[in-house]
Amino acid sequence: MGLLRDVRVLEISSPPTMLAGRILGDLGADVVAIEPPRGAPGRRIEPFADGEPGLERSLTWQALNYNKRGMTLDTASADGRALLSDLLERFDIVIEATSPSEPSPLEEISLRPELIRVQVRPFSPHGPKAAYRTTDLILMAAGGAPALAGESDRPPLFFPIPQAMMEAGAEAAVATLSALIARERDGEGQIVDTPARIAAMAGAMGRIVSGFSGDTMSRRMPPASENTSPLATSNIPCADGYVVLSLAFAGAFAAMSANLIGWVRDEGELTPDIAATDWSRYARGAEGSPPPEPLQELGAALRRLCGRLTKFEIVEASRKHGFMAAPVMTMKDIDLFPHYRERGLFVASTAGPDGRPIEVPARFVQLEDDEIEIRSPAPRLSQHTTEVLAQELGLTKTEIQALYVHEVI
Amino acid sequence: MARPPLQGLKVIDMAWLMAAPECARYLADLGADVIKIESGVRRDPLRSLGNYKDGVPGPNRSLSYHAINAGKRSLTLDMKARGGREAFLRLVRWADVIIEAFTPGVADSLEVSYPHLKPLNPGLIMVSTSILGSKGPASQGLSGTGSTGLAFAGAKYLVGWPDRPPEGPNGPWTDSVTPRFITSTILSALHRRQRTGQGCFIDASQAECGIHFLMPAWFDYAVNGVSPERRGSAGSPLRAPCGVYPCAGDDRWVAIDASDAPAWSALRTIVGPALDDLRFDTLVGRLRNRDALDAAISAFTRDKSADAVEHMLQAAGAPAHVVCTAADFATDEDLQAEGYYRLINDPEIGSTMTRGPQVNFSRTPHPPVRPGPRLGDSTRDLLREVAGYSDAEIDALDAEGALR
Repeated sequence: MGLLRDVRVLEISSPPTMLAGRILGDLGADVVAIEPPRGAPGRRIEPFADGEPGLERSLTWQALNYNKRGMTLDTASADGRALLSDLLERFDIVIEATSPSEPSPLEEISLRPELIRVQVRPFSPHGPKAAYRTTDLILMAAGGAPALAGESDRPPLFFPIPQAMMEAGAEAAVATLSALIARERDGEGQIVDTPARIAAMAGAMGRIVSGFSGDTMSRRMPPASENTSPLATSNIPCADGYVVLSLAFAGAFAAMSANLIGWVRDEGELTPDIAATDWSRYARGAEGSPPPEPLQELGAALRRLCGRLTKFEIVEASRKHGFMAAPVMTMKDIDLFPHYRERGLFVASTAGPDGRPIEVPARFVQLEDDEIEIRSPAPRLSQHTTEVLAQELGLTKTEIQALYVHEVI
Repeated sequence: MARPPLQGLKVIDMAWLMAAPECARYLADLGADVIKIESGVRRDPLRSLGNYKDGVPGPNRSLSYHAINAGKRSLTLDMKARGGREAFLRLVRWADVIIEAFTPGVADSLEVSYPHLKPLNPGLIMVSTSILGSKGPASQGLSGTGSTGLAFAGAKYLVGWPDRPPEGPNGPWTDSVTPRFITSTILSALHRRQRTGQGCFIDASQAECGIHFLMPAWFDYAVNGVSPERRGSAGSPLRAPCGVYPCAGDDRWVAIDASDAPAWSALRTIVGPALDDLRFDTLVGRLRNRDALDAAISAFTRDKSADAVEHMLQAAGAPAHVVCTAADFATDEDLQAEGYYRLINDPEIGSTMTRGPQVNFSRTPHPPVRPGPRLGDSTRDLLREVAGYSDAEIDALDAEGALR
């Protein structure tokens, strides 16, 4: 991928910078991740290869740091900061994460005006939460996406994978490139301030603004039962797992829902007279429990029909008949789904401490004239330190050894 | 005085719902001139999804619609009408970026897909996005929303309780993930075009973008050979305490992550004797007695307001935060300090708040945040300014039914 082939990025590695640097690397930029000599915090995030911890065994690190080079540098030391300052002369962009407890190593460095400095930080430095201690879980809670997830008899649901660092990293990638485009106009860099809490709010979607509507707010529902209306996006058991079906009778969704009902009827699970119900009366949902009889019948028919079909068979039916359905895919399903394979989603790479070959669903976009590739797996600790110091700064072997002896690298 | 980074960039947003229009919102926030092309007959379904201002439905009243479409101008066009198509092609010649999100196959049948448009505008950057992308054996005819996209991405399966069916995150999750990947690619393509003059076609599957937020789970599967399962409780199994705890009120919760030594001693100071149990002295002890630990913390939080717990713990140095609801956002002082919410004045819904840009630039300004456009509010202006039609020609298009 060559879209960003002339762009050079220094990433002072922290969980929220990792996806940012990787997206830029995927799009072709030369990205160097800087870690402290004892390793970046991202190396201590699970899961680990074979369930055993180790600096080269974090699969989160490996998933978010391919297409980068890696070097160590103690940016808390004066020597480390001097080298960082010299390196910054040779890069377009520096990305860092700051928090109330960790001041930026860039504060004591005079930055040239062309440099783009992207800072990811948790809460507003001007508000009452400026000094808040945060972790991924805390930022996700503050982001609001989990509040309506799950059934109301149990706690709200969070992803089992840290998501605030993904939200912040992806947001920072957009922000970085925005500043790059600005620099192309007038040659000037700037500071790009990326609030991780606001990035995490993206997953709350419509609820970001619905508190200002004066309208009734959505709430979590008790556990679904067979007597629950199939309206909205329903989770239905099928022969090999679950499938999601979208059923709504308002506006643009009505025609696809009619196709779904036609399919259930043609498969012999719904009588023609129930299928011929005037479904538009449920365009705004249906009140009451149990739901009205036609919806109960439709729900039961969908469960019978899906129960004898596989996920992928139901997806094929959805394309053929024109309704919305999706298999509830596991990672294994993603591996086996022929569409992803034939489309070219996967790229060969290596991972784990022993560099075992794996395939990675790396192509988040596909271009007609270029492709996202994995040019290098995630760097081992300090893998490119010597290379970067020698090539970029012209340091001699003796000097590099001295820096190692003094624990600067 | 610096200008917004994309001032002068011309964008056509012919998409609907959230994922693709949010990409155009990013570009509008950077100063681009964004035209939202809609059919008045087949309107953006987001217009009919609440919450509505004052709870009153109406095509210009959805606050989600305004949040995703702020700063754009609306032009209604029937592209199947002869004059409508001609007007569209004039807009294509004007545009730098076009974003469409039809069900794969529809853009081809309407003759508005990239192969049809590239000859008119070789520098064009065009995005086609759908749940599974426009290429591949299952793409043609496959419609979906973020609620089906998240199932294809593996997100539905991973969020839920082991003893219950998968529940997934709330809402059309891939709609929030995808725009960052597509917008990054558009900006990168603009960077290349600056250098080489080349346009390009970007095919984006929203499910495939979603997988990137779950990539550690993929690596777990690919390296360790296990397909990760949903595990219910929030937080990491390698940290304790780390999770969400019940508070006073209706479905109120606080997240607490106090596993690290300083945070743990801060939490102990605040909660008091209930956490004095010797079993909780060490991390291994807390991991082994997680249920008792969580019960003791829940007993402390249960009768207190979530806000009070957050403030108490944070004041002592323990990471904690309310699990925010929409109502919390509306009064959150951190968001006020950010200046995140912006007042918009819309002729139909009056004054209300919408979201501002996601990030702050030290030098280049953002344009002011405007409401999402009313259906067709700029049709005539745009046909005159951008497409070069005279008033008489616009009347003729209208008479033909091309501006519906």
